[in-house]
Amino acid sequence: MRRSRRTRGVLAVLLALVAGCASPRAGPPSGGGTSGVKVTVTTRSLPDVGTVLVTGKGYALYMFAPDRRRAVTCTGVCAGTWPPLMLPSGATLAAGPGIKTSLLGSDPAPGGGRVVTYGGWPLYTYTGDVDPGQATGQAIDLNGGEWYVLRPSGAPLEAGP
Amino acid sequence: MTAPRAASPRTCPGRRAVLLGGGLAAGAAGASAVWALTGPSAAAPVPAPPGIPPDDDLMREHGVLKRVLLCYREMTRRIQVGDQVAAPDLHDAALIIHDYIEGFHEGLEEGYVFPRLRRDPAVAGTVTTLLVQHARGRVLTQFILARTTARDVASPGTRARLAEAMQAFVRMYEPHEAREDTVIFPAFRQAVPAAELASLGQHFADLERQQFGRDEFGAMVARIARIEQDLDIYDLDQFTPQVGPFSPSA
Repeated sequence: MRRSRRTRGVLAVLLALVAGCASPRAGPPSGGGTSGVKVTVTTRSLPDVGTVLVTGKGYALYMFAPDRRRAVTCTGVCAGTWPPLMLPSGATLAAGPGIKTSLLGSDPAPGGGRVVTYGGWPLYTYTGDVDPGQATGQAIDLNGGEWYVLRPSGAPLEAGP
Repeated sequence: MTAPRAASPRTCPGRRAVLLGGGLAAGAAGASAVWALTGPSAAAPVPAPPGIPPDDDLMREHGVLKRVLLCYREMTRRIQVGDQVAAPDLHDAALIIHDYIEGFHEGLEEGYVFPRLRRDPAVAGTVTTLLVQHARGRVLTQFILARTTARDVASPGTRARLAEAMQAFVRMYEPHEAREDTVIFPAFRQAVPAAELASLGQHFADLERQQFGRDEFGAMVARIARIEQDLDIYDLDQFTPQVGPFSPSA
């Protein structure tokens, strides 16, 4: 289907707007919030993997090896399975216990908005983690590369569970 | 020796894809919200483009999955009776699951279908189970892919574990896809306005071309047909039963 430039423009604006909306998906939120909202990255000890990075709600955060600490490369269908942790416009980053503030940052997302990073790694959640405190995506090879949870040091846990 | 592994391209949509709601800005949340906001209530009616409705598209991908399950079942049977199974065929069957079903089809479900149903109390619990099953299936597939070298397939211990993994996969995915076809996709069709469904069908087709560079469905059907031929289960006629003992005149 062909779309007019105007329609594309409207969609681009909508994308930017909804980047901060609460996630409607069944799994963990992909960030959430608007101006004045904090996006929290914290740590938690999870079964089989030990202490790793999690969202403020306790969902495990993953890095994607092909990102190479440089850019968000999981897009399109990939992001359906691994929603990036978005930093909505106007939101601020908050570091929970165990997090090194100096490692927190954000990268531009190809579709607009920003994705939270840690030690340069863009951070993603996993749809397979349907409850907080899980890390079912650890060491999974999917969508063109491997996925690992991250230690508070910023190092990926590259050994399987 | 490790069996050859085909490329498993990740999706890197172009600008147009992102503008069409391809998912990136806010991952699943953004894509779903965009589609929700661009339905008929938010814009003038959009003429339905030619193409396959998204639920039909997902169901024909289920057809590929069903044929891999048929191959897994035959390979499991062969292992259990002590027959040979060609490592490249088993590896390629698992690779179809990995690249096309888990790396693409399930991403569409997770990014576009399930989010629309999360607040429907009639199916929300089922959606959660389906997500868990996707994750478990990926673990089984990773196991199968890692153990389909010629050496592994010759080892009795590994053959037994491969058969166990394939059995678990088949047992889970037969009811999984049947539930999606008969409950989830109809609920999705009911939840999404017709014009939006039509646009989404085209969008799925665009995503497939972006990820694989072509209409991958046809390529996958050809690959699975070749494996079926190797396993002597390709000819459909062999599955037609003799019904003499059941005929009215018997």
